[in-house]
Amino acid sequence: MTEATPIVLPNMAARRVAGIARAIVRTALFALIIVWSAFPILYIVVSSFKQQKEIFKYPPDIIFTPTFEHYAALATKWTGFFPTMGNSLIVAVGATILACVASILSGFVYSRYANRFLAGSVLYLIAIRLLPPIVVTLPLFPVVDALKLSDTHLVLIILYATFWVSLCTMIMKTFIDKIPRTLDEAAVVDGATTMQTLVRVIMPLALQGIAACAIFVFVFAWNEYLFALIFTTQHAKTAPLIISEVMDAVSGTNWGVLFAGVTVQLLPVTLLVMLAQRFLIAGLTAGSVKG
Amino acid sequence: MRRLNPAAILMLAPTHLLLFLVIALPSIYVFWLSLNESTYGSDLTFVGFNNYVTVLTSPYFWRAALNTLIVVNAVVYIELLIAIGMAALFLGGVRYPKIMFAIVLMPYAISEVVGVLVWKIMLNTGSGVLARTIEALGFGMFNWSVSPPLALSVVTLISIWHHLPFTFLLIYAGMLAIPKSLYEASRIDGASRWQEFWRITLPLTVPAILISLIFRFVFAFRLFSEVWLLTAGGPARLTEVLAVYLYQSGFKYGEFGTASATGWLMVLGSLGVASVYLWAMHRRMVSGND
Repeated sequence: MTEATPIVLPNMAARRVAGIARAIVRTALFALIIVWSAFPILYIVVSSFKQQKEIFKYPPDIIFTPTFEHYAALATKWTGFFPTMGNSLIVAVGATILACVASILSGFVYSRYANRFLAGSVLYLIAIRLLPPIVVTLPLFPVVDALKLSDTHLVLIILYATFWVSLCTMIMKTFIDKIPRTLDEAAVVDGATTMQTLVRVIMPLALQGIAACAIFVFVFAWNEYLFALIFTTQHAKTAPLIISEVMDAVSGTNWGVLFAGVTVQLLPVTLLVMLAQRFLIAGLTAGSVKG
Repeated sequence: MRRLNPAAILMLAPTHLLLFLVIALPSIYVFWLSLNESTYGSDLTFVGFNNYVTVLTSPYFWRAALNTLIVVNAVVYIELLIAIGMAALFLGGVRYPKIMFAIVLMPYAISEVVGVLVWKIMLNTGSGVLARTIEALGFGMFNWSVSPPLALSVVTLISIWHHLPFTFLLIYAGMLAIPKSLYEASRIDGASRWQEFWRITLPLTVPAILISLIFRFVFAFRLFSEVWLLTAGGPARLTEVLAVYLYQSGFKYGEFGTASATGWLMVLGSLGVASVYLWAMHRRMVSGND
């Protein structure tokens, strides 16, 4: 604006009222966001510490004497639970390691090497993520069976890692791109091999990206349902699968035990996600915006 | 930049072998499967496009396609609107940001199974804490298990709850990247906060909005667990979505041919949706560069 604006004395009182109203609305909206995000989860966690008869009381008690009986009953009343938690842990750790190793290697190549084939295959990495994964279950099902891989940890590890390698490769490429090339050139001058350069120079500087990839894959593998449903029946069954089975069959006095089991399943990963938010946000922006 | 050498190709091998063997090759093979008739333990019999005719004349398929279309659009656009509102709220300043982000991210950490479990219990007709609150407020019985539209609304709600953290973070990151100098300039010009949002924040967030739309359409299209665990497609297959239809025909009825045909139709649908937004993005990039 170039013309002189007339000076109006601001109505201080009206402004203050408007400011206070704004602050109240904002606080209310933040409160709503907290309730929306946390209430369903806290509802399960809190219910797992309630006595059976208190769980479905309406209106629910906010203050009550906590009981640990459902946790004590987990091992005896729900014998399948802890073995499936073990399976979930094996599968999630395995998939995380496989996806991270593969994408650190390929992310390094995509960042440091130039080739026409390489440039073209970036598009392929992005495009392949558009395919709905359920489609590949149909041809894989008989192959997995023939290879005697059905109901093993390995099949889930390979599947889960594959669903994430393309995104993780893009994340690793973005993080490695930020490391100055002069550092790896210096390492080569000092006589380091490509592998030594990657492990000693690149990886320590790309830890944030590795952490982001690891969290994405771990959370996904820990929680996945559809592929566990199709490819496991007994030995490699994961925790989400047994929770879904018990959820449909549960009755009477077992709700508390189910809630205790669900709490054990969700708490470690929820805490991981809450504590590692920095890496998640960095990884999301690196992977999605660039990829 | 180094030239590609055998050592580098070896380093690419794990990623590309996984993608080729687990996704690329099977999705091509699915197309061959879709041209054949087969079931458990039987050989393939070539039937041309018969499976596509079967699928495209099945009322269950069209029901599933319609449900998918409605739920996916509802999920993606409602989620986007909430995410934009939330991001604008956070952009205006947030106290205890670390704690707030940690809380907002919580649903992301939850398994779809647990998400369905808790919402199912809270919305359980007659006993759930939310269902009873809805009844106490005088809205009548909240009986979603016999009403397909209500059941699909619950599916939409659960899906939004689950994925909002993802969309919110993408949009918020886009808003954070807007140069502060633009806001300072608009303050000097006397723009109101409302004008700032419409004239600066929203237009400059469009690239982030397009990216999150692509992501969310592609991922929402895969919707399976929420429906399968909540209603298993019932009552009378009225709440099926495409992935559930595929799962039923492949793994329940053992009709791999029609399931594969459904799979290819899903691939085409997914690519179709993504290409609309990719095209919009491309156009923006082209017009932004001249």
